[in-house]
Amino acid sequence: MAKEGFKYEEAVRQLESIVEKLENDELDIDSMSENLKKAQKLIKLCKDKLIKTDDEINNILEKDKK
Amino acid sequence: MKALSLYELNNLVRETIAVSLTDEYWVEAELSELREVRGHCYMELIQKDLFSNTPVAKAQAKCWKSKWIGVHDKFERIAGQSLHAGLKVMLKVYPDFHEAYGFSWIVTDVNPEFTMGDMARKRLEIINKLKTDGVFDLQKDLELPMFAQRIAVVSSPNAAGYGDFCSQLENNDYGLKFYPRLFPAIMQGEGIEKSVISALDDIYKSLDYFDVVVIIRGGGATSDMSGFDTLALAENVANFPLPIITGIGHERDESVLDMVSNTRVKTPTAAAALLIEHLSDVYNRVIDAQDEIISSIVHRIEVENIRLKRLAEKIPMLFSIFKNQQISMLDKLFVEIVNTITQKVSRCTYDISILSKSLAPVAQKRLTKENYRLQLIQQKLEALDPALLLKRGYSITTFKGHVVKNASALKSGDEVETRLEKGTVKSIIK
Repeated sequence: MAKEGFKYEEAVRQLESIVEKLENDELDIDSMSENLKKAQKLIKLCKDKLIKTDDEINNILEKDKK
Repeated sequence: MKALSLYELNNLVRETIAVSLTDEYWVEAELSELREVRGHCYMELIQKDLFSNTPVAKAQAKCWKSKWIGVHDKFERIAGQSLHAGLKVMLKVYPDFHEAYGFSWIVTDVNPEFTMGDMARKRLEIINKLKTDGVFDLQKDLELPMFAQRIAVVSSPNAAGYGDFCSQLENNDYGLKFYPRLFPAIMQGEGIEKSVISALDDIYKSLDYFDVVVIIRGGGATSDMSGFDTLALAENVANFPLPIITGIGHERDESVLDMVSNTRVKTPTAAAALLIEHLSDVYNRVIDAQDEIISSIVHRIEVENIRLKRLAEKIPMLFSIFKNQQISMLDKLFVEIVNTITQKVSRCTYDISILSKSLAPVAQKRLTKENYRLQLIQQKLEALDPALLLKRGYSITTFKGHVVKNASALKSGDEVETRLEKGTVKSIIK
């Protein structure tokens, strides 16, 4: 997954879709570890995005105060 | 027949009059002419028919210098105007007939109240007519425009009042700009009505260039207002589409012109003051509105700034709540994924173990079954073993490797082989 054009909502939707597939028993054992890897990667991207956004907000407001 | 000389005859008339008309009389009449010669006043009195307006009586009248000064002053003091042609008057007279100059009434006194009453009656008639026609209050319904700057001035061009009016407008304290334009008119004497109406007509032709009309008069001698009390002039003023301010300067009664105009002031200066005050009020309203707009905008900007600041202060906190929610949601998702996968894997492991457990007994059973089967087959096979038959004395004959079951299949000379329990014999068929 490219970092450029990363969409938080899109990533969360993909995660939810993985969970849904698991719950509905739509995933076979063969693709399970692959999906788990993908989920882990998505979660990392999402968390990074949240932290980055938090920093940016603080930076912007910090600049505004000066 | 003896004729009298004219003198004798006139003398007879004079004596008759002197004998029969001995008193002084009060007489009501209209002054149709009046002129002063060397301090004496010569008048013509007339009485017109009420309906046809044609004279029904006419007479000369004189007031000698000695009386005239008193009569003239009294009339002017009380009636506020000088005696002039056209007035209805009540005069105290006695008859005088002179053989050479003819008949004349000699005036010794005047009743100004009568003239004033007559004038008041005439004015009342005019006012009633205007009210009946519904034009009396027309001017009052007009409103002075907010920016009343373009002013049509009806005045005598040389009057001091006009000069005062213009200079006061120009030198007002507020620096306001006015654009007066003169429409010259005669403001005293008999010509007033015609002249003022013609000035109003001129203004009417360029109505769009003016906001207000001012009719002023000032600096003149004693005020004879009767010229302003005519029906035609009042109608013209009342029906005029622009508001008219009158400043025709007199203290006593209002003239009809004042009554029908939009606003009445006493003097030209007062008219200028009114216009300046009106415009400065408008100016102040504009300034007030401007201040109000500015202050309300400043206030609004302040409020919005505070609002924005408050919102901005809330953003990091709100976002950190959002961030934490999202992170815990992500963690939950991941746990869910891991759990589900673990569950699935353990379920598969269990399935396999179940499978492997059930595998041994099934195989065992199968093996037993197969063993038994094999045993049966073995038994069958054993039963069929030819060695047993040979033991019991049976033999087996074969021809060229094949078992011989039918004797006719053999012919003489064929060599057959016969197997016994112990050993074999070869024989030739005969």
